[in-house]
Amino acid sequence: MTAIYDMTRRVTMHDVNQDVNYDDMETDMQDFFADSNQPNYDRPQSTIEKLPDKVLRDIFQYLSPKQIISVGQVCRRWRTNSQNPLLWKFVSFRPSYGGIQVNPQCMDFFLQLIGTRFSELRIVELATDLITPNVLHELANKSPKLQYLTLDFSTAMQLHDFTDLQTFPSRLKSLTICLSENIFLEGFLRKVYTFISSVETLHIIGTYEKVEDEEEEVYETVNVFKLKQFLPNLRVVNLWGVPFITDEHVDAISSNCAHLECLCVNYCAKVTGSCLKLVLQRCRKLRTLFLAHTKLDNNIIKSVDWEKTRIEELDIKGTELNAEALISILTRLPHLRWLDASWLENMTDQVLEAWQNSNAMGSLQFLNMDTCDSLNEQALVDMIKRHGHQFHGLCLGGQHKLLEYFWMNMIPQLRNIRVMVMGIAEDCCPKVVAKIHVDQFIDCIAQNCPRLTRLEVRWDDETLRFSDKSSKFIDVLRMKCLMLHSIVLSDGQYYELVRSNFERADRMSVVRTTEMCRTGLLHCSRYFNKLLFN
Amino acid sequence: MTDAKNERQIKISSSDNEIILVPRNVIRLSTTINTLLQDLGLDDDEATNAEPIPVQNVAAPILRKVISWCQYHYQDPVPTDDSDSREKRTDDISSWDTEFLKVDQGTLFELILAANYLDIKGLLDVTCKAVANMIKGKSPEEIRRTFNIKNDFTPEEEEQIRKENAWCED
Repeated sequence: MTAIYDMTRRVTMHDVNQDVNYDDMETDMQDFFADSNQPNYDRPQSTIEKLPDKVLRDIFQYLSPKQIISVGQVCRRWRTNSQNPLLWKFVSFRPSYGGIQVNPQCMDFFLQLIGTRFSELRIVELATDLITPNVLHELANKSPKLQYLTLDFSTAMQLHDFTDLQTFPSRLKSLTICLSENIFLEGFLRKVYTFISSVETLHIIGTYEKVEDEEEEVYETVNVFKLKQFLPNLRVVNLWGVPFITDEHVDAISSNCAHLECLCVNYCAKVTGSCLKLVLQRCRKLRTLFLAHTKLDNNIIKSVDWEKTRIEELDIKGTELNAEALISILTRLPHLRWLDASWLENMTDQVLEAWQNSNAMGSLQFLNMDTCDSLNEQALVDMIKRHGHQFHGLCLGGQHKLLEYFWMNMIPQLRNIRVMVMGIAEDCCPKVVAKIHVDQFIDCIAQNCPRLTRLEVRWDDETLRFSDKSSKFIDVLRMKCLMLHSIVLSDGQYYELVRSNFERADRMSVVRTTEMCRTGLLHCSRYFNKLLFN
Repeated sequence: MTDAKNERQIKISSSDNEIILVPRNVIRLSTTINTLLQDLGLDDDEATNAEPIPVQNVAAPILRKVISWCQYHYQDPVPTDDSDSREKRTDDISSWDTEFLKVDQGTLFELILAANYLDIKGLLDVTCKAVANMIKGKSPEEIRRTFNIKNDFTPEEEEQIRKENAWCED
């Protein structure tokens, strides 16, 4: 038995701050001799100061860099621990996204920090004023583990002089470049090209949100044709809202990356799809294709050999494809698992019917048909009766025809559902005349959907009918759907009722309003984590 | 491992010398004890009547609480390593754990010390998250008050910190 004692003790000594530990053991021993017959004796109260350094850092790892700076001002021991490089693996220096604002007068101190505190950096985000030869040089030499780099030029007025830039982080897995409207990056990138061949995920984030006037001239601020020559290992390419990107650019990128698995050109309004034929031929591993709000052409889409692809995830939200083109693409994608077909005017009953009859819906788990106004209730009923059991995510919000009767009958078919969106707010649509008796509705969800994690109900207080007794039904939902961690409701009395119910049960920040939060299916994409850029 | 072995009861004794019986597959969550059992060959059938394993840093009330946590969680899937992910979440504490952690600060820290000593990763994670949630959004002074921490900086050091922190001042 002595051996056991030794071993257990060794673990302690190894981990625990020694002074504290000896104190502890001494008290234990005294207690042991004094009170061994009384199991419930009062021990001296433990305080946070008894926690060993390692545990203190275990706690700090859950805090943001700003909060870690704050705990560094509490006392000496916390200060020392807060400066441990292992707590500084992910740091954002983009103030506009909640990151740290570096004081320009303290650049020397900041450069010094890179070598000391930031030696374990994995992920760093830099705003324009920090993208300097000095900073990049220090990161390249002193942060060997850096793998994710974001260079945000979106607020740039002018660039630093990069003539002296000799080195750049060279083990990157992911590179994100946020463009400005009119600052040309070629001069900078020319210095960088030779260092980035390891990059697997490339994000180029455009200025889509800033474009107000369509007539305004668009500058091609990045030379994609050049860039692609130096990125042979790309697996995920995300060109998000880049106004100058055309099919030619996408085609060029695909010509040098046979490993491409995920391509996203959402909000690239010039893309018509004419590149797809070649892209899909070259990149046989392509599984995820995001084409939301692009200018897809009907004939081009029909001419692609979809049946020869491995596409599992497709986003065609907000495109203007006609019914014929929709049928052509959907019926020829037998592996489709995830589809965003929301905001499609031409998503009609006929499309849905043809799709079902083609037997191409067998793998479908996530379906977003938000605001597809042309669909009628019966077509959706038929689909859910046949395929409801396989759905993990279903968005049918924004459809004013789908009311209580529809959902009360359909919810029992959705036994495996994780994410569900329903209802429509009053102000954005033809008036919903019928009332929704929300209690039986909530009860129906509670009884039938044990795996639900996210629920969004958009009807507002005008439409919902509820009473004092509603809380009982919310209780049932709370107890039955234990994995439910997000409920999004229209702001109003019913929202207040649900929120206070969950908060009383200490389930904070579960219930939110539609103003703050929208439920989608993007997080269910296999590439969601890789597509995150802000 | 066979079922019979999993159903075996392991004896552990607390710092105040109370002997507690725990199923073998529940105490598996404690890497410290699990390794001990494996290394000393106490998983063999002959070892059934072994002496209790002393856990001399944890008193019985806390040890019982720790074991009740293990009993609820021993079938949880092994969490994936997310060490490279961005910010770590603290708002994902399950409702059972939230209920479990409704204790005074002293007990919470005892639980953390026990989880650290016994090397029970899941329990250490969730208790650390709970403390992180108590820190979030607070100023240094508020943190000191919350945890009753003495400010041991000299005025000169405070001045020094102020100067140093100028690099990241908003």
